This record gives sequence, structure tokens and C-alpha cells, in this order.
Amino acid sequence: MTCDDAARVLDPYIDGELGPAEADAFRQHVETCPTCRGQLERRQALRRAIRRVPYRPAPEHLRTAVASAPRPRRRSIQPLLAWAAMLLLGVSLGAAGAVLAGRSRGTAAAEVLTEAVVDAHVRALMGDHLLDVPSSDQHTVKPWFVGKIDFAPPVTDLSADGFALVGGRLDYVAGHAAAAVVYRRRQHTIDLFIWPDDTVGAEETASVRGFSVRRWSRGGMSFSAISDIGPAELAAFAGALQR
Amino acid sequence: MPAQTFEATVAPHLDAAFNYARWLARNDADAEDLVQDASLRAWRFVGSLRSEDARAWFLTIVRNTWFDRFGRANTAPTVAFDEARDDRSDGTPDPEARVIAREASDRVQQAIAALPADFREVLVLREFEDLSYKEIAAVVGIPIGTVMSRLARARDRLQDLLDADATEGAPT
Repeated sequence: MTCDDAARVLDPYIDGELGPAEADAFRQHVETCPTCRGQLERRQALRRAIRRVPYRPAPEHLRTAVASAPRPRRRSIQPLLAWAAMLLLGVSLGAAGAVLAGRSRGTAAAEVLTEAVVDAHVRALMGDHLLDVPSSDQHTVKPWFVGKIDFAPPVTDLSADGFALVGGRLDYVAGHAAAAVVYRRRQHTIDLFIWPDDTVGAEETASVRGFSVRRWSRGGMSFSAISDIGPAELAAFAGALQR
Repeated sequence: MPAQTFEATVAPHLDAAFNYARWLARNDADAEDLVQDASLRAWRFVGSLRSEDARAWFLTIVRNTWFDRFGRANTAPTVAFDEARDDRSDGTPDPEARVIAREASDRVQQAIAALPADFREVLVLREFEDLSYKEIAAVVGIPIGTVMSRLARARDRLQDLLDADATEGAPT
């Protein structure tokens, strides 16, 4: 790789947009070329500086206003249009059904579980019941679950990796009593649902309704992480947990 | 069913919408109006949401609402962010270190606000919303290659601004 090539892929590299081969070639070049290494370090320092800018969540009154805004137009939809929509929905559901039927039962079960995880996460975010035990101390959060569920979920502080522990709650996902351990990445909430499960499947990632979901099993427990951060960051989170 | 769909798809992304709107509008009041208008539109069109990515879809609506209101040639003067600041995200216990960190992040914030709008928005979508190049391309309506080159130029520009800032004698 020449220095011109390296300059061209510098930004896609730090954004995780390069393929593995190109990323390797870039890393090799940077190891031998101090100029390009300097450019990379400058970019990385810039990113750190940018990410220290506080993220401002939507103010509560805006949230309330959006949730309670009058929405008159929905009701004026022409009945004919509504019928057409129903018809279309029927057709697409039929198609989806056909596709689903063609898949293995395991895949369908995994999708149902993923949906249940998304629902539980959205419920917690909207219902104002994110935390039963707000604490950034793993030695407070872990014992809190004792006596509330019949298993001991692992609780790990990952603030060194940029995922701050903020607490935990009890939840109920797809028929399981689950421990929900809650982390924050900047202002993004990450829910980690844990319940005992012996059916060990391969680690899998899904993207549903704008959320990234990652599921894996370890030590007889099933783990499901969900957040609106990108899949790559969620993978980093899962990686840090399994270290 | 529509109400549920709306709550499940749009409401979870209000923070992202507000943050993005703030960078577009560069003040809190306009950003709030913008998000409210965009939410109404999202409510009306949520049935047309085809892709799985509700966040990128909602951000696209925020962006369209903004341009419908102010036009593409919007050149609102740069307004520094001077509203109440959020200290929470900076976990430094030492008060002095906190002040220094805050001043540094204020400088970065102002430098981003001073970027040309085209550069600013790809940078904000990438760095604050963690959107992939593909998602940014969809929100902004430009090819992925353009996302890449704009992002590179935005960062070059930002680095220059911050370097100039530092040489003007600001404590670093």
C-alpha cells in the first residue's frame, strides 16, 4: 500500500468500513510508515476529542409533547385506502409466511426471541422503568438479584471499555424471568438480558427496528444484548463481556 | 396498531432526533420545534416505513422537515452553544480537571458548529449517532463515496480549526 492509498482509506479505516484484507494492508503500512501513522494518531485523537462533547438527550417536555400530540390525520384515511393497505399487508404477510416456512425451525425460534428482546427493551425505555437498582458498582448490582431470581447473573463493570454500568432490573422475556443488566455508551442505553438456558447456539447478530441485537450463550446462561448503538459497537461490548 | 407501531419505532429514537436537530438548527428551541414537526410527519408516514432501520428513517424525516422549512440554501449564522451544559457524561471527579475538560469540549463543539453544513451533518451522524456510511448515505441522500470524502474533508477542516484555536494561545 502506498501513502496515497493509505490517506484514501484512513477515514473508512477508523470508521470500521474497510474489509478485513484492506484493513490489514492499512495496518501493515502504518507500522512501517511514521508519516501515515502520525495521520492515524491525529485522527484518533480528533475522534476522542469529538466524543467528549456531551450528548444532549431530548428534554422531558419534548418527549411528553411528542407522545401526547394530537394526531387527527390518521382518522381521515379513506376507507378504500385502508382496504388496499389491508390487501397489501395480506399479500406481504403471505409472502413472509412462505419465506419463514422455508426456514429451519431454529431460525424462526431465534427470530421470535429477538423480537421479544426488542419488545422488552422498548418497554423498559418507554415505561420509565429501566432500573430497579441504579448503581455503577457491580458489587451492588450482582447481590441485588439474589433472592429475586433462581440464578446468579454475572455482572461485570465495563467502564474501562467505554460501557458504563448503570444498574439492573428484573424483566420477563419470552416466558423467562430475566436479569436485565443496564449499561450506557454515551447516552445510548444497552440492555443485557440474562437467563439460564442450556441450548447453546452460535453467537448471532440481528438488526430490528433500528436496534442492534446480539445473542450468545456461555456457562449455561443465555445472553441477549440490545441497543441503538451500531452493530460493530455492540459486538465490541459482547467481546468485552466475554473476555 | 398504528399507534403501537409509532411508539415502538419512533419514540425510542427521540434522543437521536433531538441531538441531530440541534446540530442542524444550532439552537434548542428550533431543534424542539423541528423534532415535534418531524414526529407528526413520522406519525403520518409510519405505515410507509419499509426498511428495518427506523432510526435512519426518522433522522431522514428530521432532515427533510428542516430543509422544507428553511430551504437548502439555509445559511443561518453560526450560533455558539451557550445553553445549559450537561456535565454528567464526564466522569472526572476532580473539579479543576472537569473545568479544563469542559473548556476543551466547548472548543470542539464550537469548531463543529462552525463547519459548513454539508460537512457538519455527515460528521454528526457518524460521530454522535454512530451511523454507518450506508445509513448516512440514506439519510443525507448522497452516494456512499461522497459520504466518505465529505467525512474526510470535514475531519481535515475540524483538525485545522482546532489547531488554529490552539495556536491562538488557548490553554491546552
